[in-house]
Amino acid sequence: MANIKELKMKIKSTKGTLKITSAMKLVSAAKLAKAQQAIQSSRPYAEELDQTIKTISALVENYSHSYLEAKPGNQMEALLVISANKGLCGAYNSALAKEVRKYLAANTDKEIKVFFVGKKVKELIEKEVNFGKMYEFDKTDPSFLELETVGNELANLFLQGEVGTVKVAYNQFNSAISFTSMVKQLLPMSLDLHEKATLEEKFPFDFRYEPTPAEILDTLIPETFTATLYTSLLDAVAAEHGSRMASMDNAVTNCKEQVRTQTLKMNKLRQAAITTELTEVVSGAESLNG
Amino acid sequence: MNYFTVDVLTPEKIVAKGIPAESLLIPTVRGQINILPHHTHLINKLSTGVLTIFGGADDPDLDYSISHGICKVLEDRVIIMSHTAEECTVIDESRATRALEHAEAKLNGGEPLTDEELTKYRRKAERAKLRLQLSQNKK
Repeated sequence: MANIKELKMKIKSTKGTLKITSAMKLVSAAKLAKAQQAIQSSRPYAEELDQTIKTISALVENYSHSYLEAKPGNQMEALLVISANKGLCGAYNSALAKEVRKYLAANTDKEIKVFFVGKKVKELIEKEVNFGKMYEFDKTDPSFLELETVGNELANLFLQGEVGTVKVAYNQFNSAISFTSMVKQLLPMSLDLHEKATLEEKFPFDFRYEPTPAEILDTLIPETFTATLYTSLLDAVAAEHGSRMASMDNAVTNCKEQVRTQTLKMNKLRQAAITTELTEVVSGAESLNG
Repeated sequence: MNYFTVDVLTPEKIVAKGIPAESLLIPTVRGQINILPHHTHLINKLSTGVLTIFGGADDPDLDYSISHGICKVLEDRVIIMSHTAEECTVIDESRATRALEHAEAKLNGGEPLTDEELTKYRRKAERAKLRLQLSQNKK
C-alpha cells in the first residue's frame, strides 16, 4: 500500500535527522566541557585581580582613575551585544535579542549605539537599532588578546567622552540547561567600598608597593575592565554550547518519539492489510466450498 | 628549610598552582627582585622577563617567560598575575621566530601605526625575543 510506503520513507528521514541531532549534541557536550574548563581557568585570575584592586583601593586615599569617573551629562551609551555565530541553539539568540529590545525600550532617553560580537543577534535587531560596529574574529572563540582590542576601542570611546557609559549584553551561564540574559555595566566602573571595612580587618598590615599604589591601580583598573569583558564572553560561549546541547537533546527525544509513533502506525496499517487479505482468501475459499 | 608556594595565573589559563619554592626571582618594572620565605607583604608591577622558581634540593628549578602584570606576596604565598606566561621548556622556537619577524615587519614597515599598535607590536617583539633567548639558553 502507498500509505505504508510513505510512512517508511518518513521514518527513514526522521532517523537521518536523529543521527544529525545526536551528533550535534555530542559535539556541543564536548565544547561545553571545554568552555566550562575555560571559565574555571580564568576565574582565579579574575578573582585575584578583584581582591588586589579592592585591597589597594581600600588602603589608598583620594585615588581616582578615568575609568571610575562618571560622566553625568553624557546621554550617549555603547552597548556590546555578545551572541552566537550559529543558530540551532534553542532560545539562546532570541532571548538575548528580546532582552536587548527590552533594555532599549526602557532607556529611550539615552542615545544607545549597539556593537556586536557574534552575528545572530545582529541579524535579528540590526535594522531597529543605532548600529555601531560588528567585531569579527579569526576563530569562533576570541582570545584574551583579541578581546582586549575590542575592550580598548570601547574604553577609548568612553575616555574621549563620546559615550558616557559602556555596557555589555550577554547570556550568563547558570548550568548546562539554563542561562540568564542580562545587561551589565562595564564603565564607569564602581569600586565597592562597602567591603572596605572587612578588608581592613583582614589586612591589618599594609603592603609594600613598587612603584606606587596609584601606579599599580593605573595598571590594574584597565586590566580588570578587560578581564570582566573576557569573563562575560566566556560565560556567553559556555551558555551557547549548553543551550545547543539542551535543544539538541530535546530534538533527539522528539525524533525518537516520532520514529516510535510512526513505526506503530505503519505496523498497524500493515497488520490491517494482512487481515484484509486473509479475510479475502478465507472467504474466497469458503465460497468455493459452498 | 622553609618553603613558600607560587601561583602563576593568566586570564586564559592557570599556568602553575601551589608550586613549592625556596626562592624566587621576579622581573619588576624597577628591576629584578628576589623573594625568600617570610618576605614582607608586597604588591609589585611586573615587566616582561623571566620568572625563575628555585625549587630547592628536591624540586627542579622552573623558568617562565612572563609579560606585564602584577605580583602579590602574601603570607608565604606568591601570586603572579600576568597577561601571558609560558614555561620555558615548552617554548615553540619556530613560532617565536615567526612572531618576531611579523612584529618587526610591522614596526619597520611603511604603514603608519597608531600609538596602540606601536605598543602592541613592541610588546610582541619584546616577548618573542625573550622567548627565543630563553629557548636558546636551554640548549
